[in-house]
Amino acid sequence: MPKVISIHSYRGGTGKSNFTANLAATLALQGSRVAVVDTDVPSPGIHNIFSLEPEITNKTLNTYLWGQCAIEDAAYDVSANVGLVGEGKVFLVPASVKADDIAKILKDGYDVKRLNDGFRRLVKNLELDYLFIDTHPGLSKETFLSIALSHVLILILRPDKQDYQGTAVTVDVARQLKVRKMLLTINKVYSGLNFDILRQKIEETYGVPVAGIFPLSEDVVQLASEGVFCTRFPEHLISQEFRNVAGQIID
Amino acid sequence: MADTGNLQSLAHSITAVASPFRSYLNELYDKYHPLNQGAVADYIPELALAKPEWFGICAVTVGGQSFEVGDCDQLFTIQSISKAFVYGLALEDHGRAYVNSKVSVEPTGEAFNSIALDENTNRPYNPMVNAGAIATADMIKGKSSTDRLKRILDMFQRYTGRELDINVPVFLSEKATGNRNRAMAYLMLNFGMVSERIEETLDLYFQQCSILVNARDLGMMAATLANGGVNPITKERAIDEHYVQDVISVMLTCGMYDYSGEWTYRVGIPAKSGVGGGITAVVPGKMGIGTFSPLLDAKGNSVRGIKVCEDLSKDFGLHLFNVAKAERNLEDWIESNNVTVDW
Repeated sequence: MPKVISIHSYRGGTGKSNFTANLAATLALQGSRVAVVDTDVPSPGIHNIFSLEPEITNKTLNTYLWGQCAIEDAAYDVSANVGLVGEGKVFLVPASVKADDIAKILKDGYDVKRLNDGFRRLVKNLELDYLFIDTHPGLSKETFLSIALSHVLILILRPDKQDYQGTAVTVDVARQLKVRKMLLTINKVYSGLNFDILRQKIEETYGVPVAGIFPLSEDVVQLASEGVFCTRFPEHLISQEFRNVAGQIID
Repeated sequence: MADTGNLQSLAHSITAVASPFRSYLNELYDKYHPLNQGAVADYIPELALAKPEWFGICAVTVGGQSFEVGDCDQLFTIQSISKAFVYGLALEDHGRAYVNSKVSVEPTGEAFNSIALDENTNRPYNPMVNAGAIATADMIKGKSSTDRLKRILDMFQRYTGRELDINVPVFLSEKATGNRNRAMAYLMLNFGMVSERIEETLDLYFQQCSILVNARDLGMMAATLANGGVNPITKERAIDEHYVQDVISVMLTCGMYDYSGEWTYRVGIPAKSGVGGGITAVVPGKMGIGTFSPLLDAKGNSVRGIKVCEDLSKDFGLHLFNVAKAERNLEDWIESNNVTVDW
């Protein structure tokens, strides 16, 4: 049965989009049909990682939310861009990067019901195994919705005080929304830190399992938001950690 | 303890949006919107203006959660649906014994506008046929005709939680073409079943049928009955709890015109329909369902509305006499608990 996974972080810069793209690609590499929806309408970005050029994407999540197209018309097959061969597929529903479109959606808002209906239609019509929802940092309407309807919520944080505080807020909200399964992922961890102690401390603080710990990696930085790391370097330690996280989603 | 009222309220509204039950209703809408069978009522010109594509579904739980799909703001005249609720008001005004003495509760296979009274007692067969509804309207108390109408409108406001208006052109058309109803009223006067203020009562009856409602109102009215007579959102009592069962019973046995037997067998949810295209359906203790689609079948019931209620009854086991385990558990689908098949 299909699963919906929301990826969220309280603050920006945690590497959320990169994480989402890599986790999606990891599942697709294992033969799954996966879609990613960029609900970060104020500051879209994940299309870069999937090498989807905004020039060719005249239909976006915005177009759908304004009732001008079906959600599947705004879904682009980026499997080839990611370097996928075989049965697995990755689709991306990008948000518009046009300043005027962003202004319009901020000014007029949108019907959150329509976003919900779009997610469900996408899962059905593209026969998805996994739907990933990439959200804007902080708490917003789409964050609440994605948390409420997802099967798995993954919160990404860095080991610093501001992220710790923000994550506590999000965990409260997620519990209020009766989230079904919550996982934490710690990203950009200095290699000098003891990962086991960090994991233990964080799990104790939030009462939420840590699904994965990712070191601050020059290898990832080199790709700099262009291309998906896991499909390029499948044997890298980081790619192995993504497979570990993917395993906990499949369960 | 920290104040979490805002968080709870936002969480509540978002949970309703994300509820798989709302998606289920969406799918029902998509499934039956293309169904173009039936015809819009045209016995008066105002009703013929209804657009065949109009379609709205609203479900309101007794816990006050509301789910809407389609044209739930579109207003239409309540028509015969009013009969069930005005019957409740008559019961409050006079008590069961008196009301029973004037109007029977026996289903009739006759059409809703038949000129027929019970031969032994001279009572109209039930409060859902026109004769019975006119006799019921006659019983509504009030110092003047305006006062009687106001009491009816106030009652509907308690059910719907909002102020309702009358569509005056529809009222005037019904009044101008209502000779058959007038004949019935005089026949009942002949047998002493109604008082002599015939024109006033007929006006009241035509006015109650011309009240403008939408699918959301019908969902709310049904939910109020399902909730023992208390509007689940405003918490206001609309009807004495002792008479809720009277109203719901006649809805079940007589609410769907001369389709009522088949309806009880197939759907088993007490409901009342109107030629404006509305259906209000009561799932006692659980929820109210309001549907609106003006395409009517030959018996005067909304074609899409019947389909929606049939599916809801079957999929969630809402038939009153269902004892088998339903395919889906209503509460789980509304609360999004353990629903694994919704995606």
